[in-house]
Order: sequence, then structure tokens, then C-alpha cells
Amino acid sequence: MTIATPVPDSSDTTPVGPVARPSRAAYWLIAPGAIWMTLFLVVPLGMMVYVSFWSQTTFKIEPILTTKSWMAFFSSDTYLSALWTTIRIWLLVLLTTFVVGYPTALFVGLFVKNKTLATALLVLCVIPFWTSFLIRVLAWRPMLGKEGAINIILQAFHITREPIEALLFTELSVIIGMTQIYCVFMVGPIAFMLGRIDPNVIEAARDLGASFWRIFRTIILPLSMPGVIVGGIFVSVMVLGEFATAAALSGRKVNMLGNIIVTQVGSLKWAFAAVVGVILTILMGLVVAGFLRIVDLKREL
Amino acid sequence: MTDVLRIENLGKSYGSNAALRGVTLAVADNEYVSLLGPSGSGKTVLLRLIAGFEQPDMGRILFDGKDIASVPAHERGIGFVFQNFALFPHLSVYDNISFGLVNRVNAPVTDGSALRSRVMEMVELVGLIGLEDRGVHQISGGQRQRVALARTLVSQPRIVLLDEPLGALDANLRTRMRGEIRRIRSQLGVTFLHVTGSETEALAMGDRIVVLDNGSVGQIDTPDTVYNSPVSPNVARYLNCYNLFSGTIGGGTFSDGAHSFPLSGTPKPNASPAYAIRQDLITVRPSNSPLASGEAGFAATYLASEYTGAAFMYFFRAVDGHIVEVENHLSHRAPQTLDVNATYQLVWKADDALVYG
Amino acid sequence: MQTTIIKPVLGVYTALFLLFLYGPFVVLGILSFQIGPNGGPQFPIIEWSTYWYQHVFGLTPPSRIAPLPIYEGLARSLTLAFMTMIVSTVLGVVSAQAFRTKFKGSDVVFYLIVLGMMVPGVLVGLGLALVANSIGIDRTWWSTAFVLHVVYTFPFAFLVMLAIFNRFDPSVEEASWSLGVSPIKTFRKVTFPLIFPGVLSAMLFAFTLSYDEFSRTLFASGRDLTLPLAIYGTFSIEIHPNIFAFGVLTTLFSFALLAAYAILMTVSLRRAKRLAIQEDA
Repeated sequence: MTIATPVPDSSDTTPVGPVARPSRAAYWLIAPGAIWMTLFLVVPLGMMVYVSFWSQTTFKIEPILTTKSWMAFFSSDTYLSALWTTIRIWLLVLLTTFVVGYPTALFVGLFVKNKTLATALLVLCVIPFWTSFLIRVLAWRPMLGKEGAINIILQAFHITREPIEALLFTELSVIIGMTQIYCVFMVGPIAFMLGRIDPNVIEAARDLGASFWRIFRTIILPLSMPGVIVGGIFVSVMVLGEFATAAALSGRKVNMLGNIIVTQVGSLKWAFAAVVGVILTILMGLVVAGFLRIVDLKREL
Repeated sequence: MTDVLRIENLGKSYGSNAALRGVTLAVADNEYVSLLGPSGSGKTVLLRLIAGFEQPDMGRILFDGKDIASVPAHERGIGFVFQNFALFPHLSVYDNISFGLVNRVNAPVTDGSALRSRVMEMVELVGLIGLEDRGVHQISGGQRQRVALARTLVSQPRIVLLDEPLGALDANLRTRMRGEIRRIRSQLGVTFLHVTGSETEALAMGDRIVVLDNGSVGQIDTPDTVYNSPVSPNVARYLNCYNLFSGTIGGGTFSDGAHSFPLSGTPKPNASPAYAIRQDLITVRPSNSPLASGEAGFAATYLASEYTGAAFMYFFRAVDGHIVEVENHLSHRAPQTLDVNATYQLVWKADDALVYG
Repeated sequence: MQTTIIKPVLGVYTALFLLFLYGPFVVLGILSFQIGPNGGPQFPIIEWSTYWYQHVFGLTPPSRIAPLPIYEGLARSLTLAFMTMIVSTVLGVVSAQAFRTKFKGSDVVFYLIVLGMMVPGVLVGLGLALVANSIGIDRTWWSTAFVLHVVYTFPFAFLVMLAIFNRFDPSVEEASWSLGVSPIKTFRKVTFPLIFPGVLSAMLFAFTLSYDEFSRTLFASGRDLTLPLAIYGTFSIEIHPNIFAFGVLTTLFSFALLAAYAILMTVSLRRAKRLAIQEDA
């Protein structure tokens, strides 16, 4: 006798509700990290916003709320220009790191077939980072100065007759320095995404007769976009928060928001430093949110 | 009750996709039950629910009469053999097999010599003597299969669930391992619940077959009953050896627009009418041959044949485009020479067909 | 085909790119061999010498050039980096393990964690300094700077472990449970050995990031300085090639660290067989 329908029996056949999921363990596991970040990241940032509204006199600071510091910022040309400088340098460095880094990423991620060689090249790119950031920044001075390495080489090859003065202590020097320091953060993620492109896809496109530029425009560039976004976020975050490179390479001529914060803290002008901090945070939030709208990062991981 | 495992109205959905819609079955002690179903029928989900890796949305699982819904997986005492074997890659064959005995919560084996003798006994039973100290990637696929079995069986579980255990092996090895698994099981007297998508494997392994149809039980029977009398057109389809027609029943005939077949006997109950004739029960006659009484048939065009060693498979197209397969066992009759695109008459005994409606 | 032109062109470009990256380091290296104590940190090289290397180690006769205030800073940086590495890696592993199941609020927590690597050091350092001031605690390298270092490096460790777990096949854990082994013991004896290479990477990441960390530490460190802060302190005063000699030495030290890491990795990878962690095809 075959049984085609469920066996009726005397016990309860009403559906049992879902049993408690074992993911209660997940809450215990995530608690330490979440608590740490809340206490030591969210609270300090919140404090910064709060203090930006405190009353600041030359010698002390009181938690009486006022917008004086805010107005001081927006009414001052120096500070507003620092804001524009920050934005301008950010955009320029973003562009230069992309332009300088993408071809290398293309080579390492796409054209180098040997995985070990590709990793070795990437490691080569990372090695300069093991010299302390500050020392690397300093090393640019003897490179860019009037008697610096670049000028010496250019004159030795008779490309220029006179030393180029604009290489050091200008905004250009800051841009060059930052590009060199941060371009690796573009190369890494882009090379990673390019490495994940199935070579058969490109092969198929070639078989169908597409030219390299066509393939690049329609296949390679779009598929590398998540890497460009990640790289863009890394570079933006670092450049927007920068002050050391600007200070060291421009001789205090170029003032980014980061520099303002440092000097204000140095003079114990906490409220004002907080105002600049909040403005920088908003700027960064907008930039990162803008990037994240272009690509959903959690999926790519 | 002597049922080791009883499943009552088990259901599980993932979002809007219902993988299991009320499965009920019972597995007796020392039984070998195979669970057959195409991909997507929920058979792996069923095993994972029994093992405790996931929780059902409805229904009960009774293990030795006790509801195990709130018992975590590591306390259920239900063995599991994975399709990809899931061997511990950082341990040797010996350490893989002894892992459960050494590390389990309930009564871990602490006596070194007792452990060794139990493990080596199992190593011998599954035929891995001499390989105990090898790493798991230094042995072949079939040997890994045996390690997976040994690892589970050495803890003497009451029931072992096998999730497509032969799926990762090549065809030759698969057939040989079938016999090995049956031998090992019967020697130990453990209950096996073996899930597979292959109908030949299900028929070969189980004392009973459960056919899963779209998330619920289609049929539970002995292999020959399922093979000869599938209880629904869906079950017949999963057996992969029936030609199926859908149509209407009226006036003692089954018709589907292009053909009509005389009925003998009462149709088996089913939601919609269907007609099934097994592929090896059809004979090929010259076109326009008359049908004797008690025979059913129709004209079809010959397309191609496939030689599988013991049989020929002939493919025909009926007037309405329906593809029909005829299996010609070479022990039954000699192979026939057929002309491509020529018309022939396909004939069978009306009694041999299965009708649903 | 076009690739035959493009590939070598890109190859040459990459070589130039590497030159660009290494340029300052090469200059730094050359200048570190400047004669001292009168030679300055710029070209031309008056005379080649290892004077500044000796100066770093305090082996030169006293001159008007003050020795770099590095020893204490170095010790503090190493200790801080070590503490940070341990705490961040533990947090990273535990949090990534939590993310293996879907729990309510996981999106929020994800962004909360990743926020730590996004917010520039100046901001979070400023914020913490404000908090410390208002609740009246001192800023020190081992309390305020330490917590900020973890805030910064924990997200990196977390993302590394997330990626590792993404590629981890859970069936070995389920197999262990089915054998009667508790989830905790399963983690100890099955999961952890197999994810260990990832854990090592996370540890290395965290250590490196903390060791060179500067902007967060600037405001949060108080009176006793870490190494980068000590170096920054010498910025506004005159710079001398001793700082370049120091840079070369620390780079070599990092090389040694990487060699140690590579050896550890190869040893542990050979043991954690890649069956449980799928490799990209």
C-alpha cells in the first residue's frame, strides 16, 4: 500500500512557530566591538559637535551654548579660504592619484598573468610605506628644492637651464607629495578588482572584434569601478584629514582645515577647533556618502 | 514504537520560497531509506533540519520518540555525511576519525588504548588500513568518502544522514561505493537516511524509497513498487524511465488531442489526468500495423538512437511534436534498424500503462 | 594586436611609477650618508660618511645637534602597537564571527565599525581630547592614545576577517557538531586553525598601522611621546640627516618584520590546508 498523503495521527499537527534562532550568540559576540566604537568614536565626535557651541574666551572655555565660534569661522576669509583650499587640494589629489595610479593598476591587475609576480609588484608598491610617514614627507624637501634632486637631474640633462622654484613650498609641492604618498591606495583596490575580471570575458570580446579602447570603456572600466570607489574613499579620507604634508612641504603657506585644527588646539582654542572639526566631518560625510551611492560596497566584499 | 525517526508535517521556507511544505515520514531501526528528488525538491534542507543545522518553520522531528526541536545540533547524536565530505583538512585520517570520540561533550573517550582500538577497528571496517597517518589531501576521492563514513560511524550514532554522498565521485567509483556503503551499514546495523538526485542510486541503495515532490512526500514504498507503480505523474517523471502524456479521460479512453488510448482499469487519483507508459514496454512496429485488442499505440517519426551498452534508446517524435523514448533492452530483443524520418507504429499493452486522473 | 603595444607601454609606465614611489626613499637613503655634523639634509653631498648612523645610536662625540629623542618613543610605540594588535585582532575575529549570522542591526554595526577607519585622526583625536578634558582625566599614550589606535585598526582587522569568513566553508564546523563537539570547542579545534593565516594578516595590519600612527596620537597622547610624535617634534627645529639615517634603519626593521611574517605565514598555511578555505580560481 503506497502512502501518498501525510499520515494522520493523534498528536498535534498544528504548525509549530519558529524556534529561537541561535543568533543570540551573535549579539554577545558583537557587543565588545560595538561598545568600544560607540564609547571611543561616537562619543568623542559627539563631544566635538557639542563643544563647537561652547563659549570660548582667550583663557577659558565654558559650556554655555553660543554660535559665536561658528560665526567667527564663516565670517573670516582666512578660514573660508582654508575650506576652499582643502576642497581644491582634495579634488586635485583625487584626480592625480587616479590618473597616475590607474595605468599601474591596469598593468598589475590585468596584464600580469603570473599571480606571484602581481603580488610581488604590489608588495613593491607597499614597501615605501614602511618608512615612517613623516620621514617620507620630509624626504620630499631635498627632492623638490632649488638645489634638490629633481632640479639637479633636470639641469644635468639640460632640460632646464634654471632651477624651477615652484617645486617646493607651494601648493604644487603639496599636491606632488600627497599624490606620491596616497596613490598606492588607488592602485591596490583597482588592481584587486581588475584581477577578478574573468579573462575569458575579454577574450570573448576580442573574438567578437572589439578594439582595445572599446573593451576598456565597456568592460574594464565599469568592472573596476568598485575598486576606483574604494580607492577614492581611502584617498579622500586621508587627504581631507591631512595637515602634516601641507605643513612640511608648503612652509605653512598652504592651510588645510586639518592645519587649522592643529594650530587652534595648540593655542587651546578648543571651541573653535571643534567648529572646524565639525565642518571637516560634514565635508567627509558628504564625500563618502557620495561615493557610496555609486556602488554598494558590502556586496563587493 | 520502533521508529528511530519520525517527521511530522515539516515545513521550511526561505523568504517566499517554500523548500518544504509539510513532509511526514518515519524511519525504522536498522533500515536503509533513500530519499529521491530533483534539485530544488528540498531534500538537502530536510536533512539539515533533522541534523539541527537549521530550524524548521513548522512541524516536529521526533528522535526515538522525543521532540528534538530545542536540542542543539551537537547534542542530537545524529550522524551526517556531507557531499563534499567536509573532512578536517588540517588533521590526518586517524585524527579525523577519532575527532568526535576525543572532543565530544557526552562521554569523550579519554583512554588512549580504548580510543586507538575503536578507531583502528573502524579503519579496518571501511578498508583504509595503512592510510591512517596520511593527510586528507593525500588520499583519493573514494578513500575520502570512507574517512567521512568512518568518522561518523565510529561514534555509533543511532541514525546517519547522508547528503548525496556519492555525488562528488566519478561514475565508476560511484557504482563500486554503493556496494561498499551497503556492506558497511548492514555490518554495523545502523539506520541510514540517504538523499540523492539519482533515481538509479535511490533504487539501488534503499530498503524503502521516499520520493520528494515539490517539497512534500510524493510516494514512500519499496523500490520495485515505486519503479513499477509510481503513484503520480510527478513521481513517474523523477524515475526517468516513463513517457508521460497529459490530456483528458472520457468514455473509457485517454485522449490528448493527437492520440487516444483505451483505458483498462481505474485511474489512480491525481489532480489532473495523465497517462504513463514505461520506455521499455513499448515495441516498434512498421507503420500502419494494426493494433490487436488490448493494445494501444500511435504513429511516430523516428529521430535518432543512443547506444548505452546493454540497450538502445530510440527517440521518436509524435504528430504533435511530443518526444517519445523507447528503450530496447538487448536481452529482450535484437536491435532494430530504423530509418531516420520514417514513420513507425509504437505499440504497447494497454494493461502495462499507468493512468492517472 | 593592440595588446602587444599596450602591455609594454604599461610595463614601462609601471616602472616609472615605481621610480616615482621610491624617489624620496632613494633621496633619503643617499642623504643619510651625508657628512656630519655640518652637512645638511640637502644636496650636494659634501662627503660620504656614516656619521649620522652613528649619531642615531649615540656613538658620536657631542655636537650642537641634539640626538633624536627616539629610544623612549620607540619603546612606547612598540608596546602600544603590540597592545593595539592584540585587542584589535580579538575584536576583529569576534565581530566577524558575529557577522556570520544575520542579526538585527547588522547594517548599522557594520558602518559603525567601518567608520573607525574613515574618520581622520585629527577629528577623533580632538574629540577624545575634549572628552578627556571635560571628565578630567589625563591623556596618556597607554590609555587615550591606545583606545584611539584600536578604534583605527579594529576595522581593518574586522574587514580582513570578514573576507576570510566569506570564503570559509562552514560544512567542516557542521561536521564537527554532528560528531557531538560543542560549538566552542569546534571553534577552537576546527575553525581557528583554519582561519589562522587571516588572523596573522590582521595582526600584522594592526601592528603596522598603530606603529606609524600619528594624527590620532597627536592630541591623545599627553606628555610622553610615541615615536612618530617625537619625530614630529623635531620638524619645527632644524632637520638633520640623522632623521634620514633613522628612516633607513626603520625601513630595514620593517623588512625584517615582513620576513618574519612571511615565514610564519608559509608555516601556518602549509598546515591549514586550503580545502576549507576556497581559493579564487
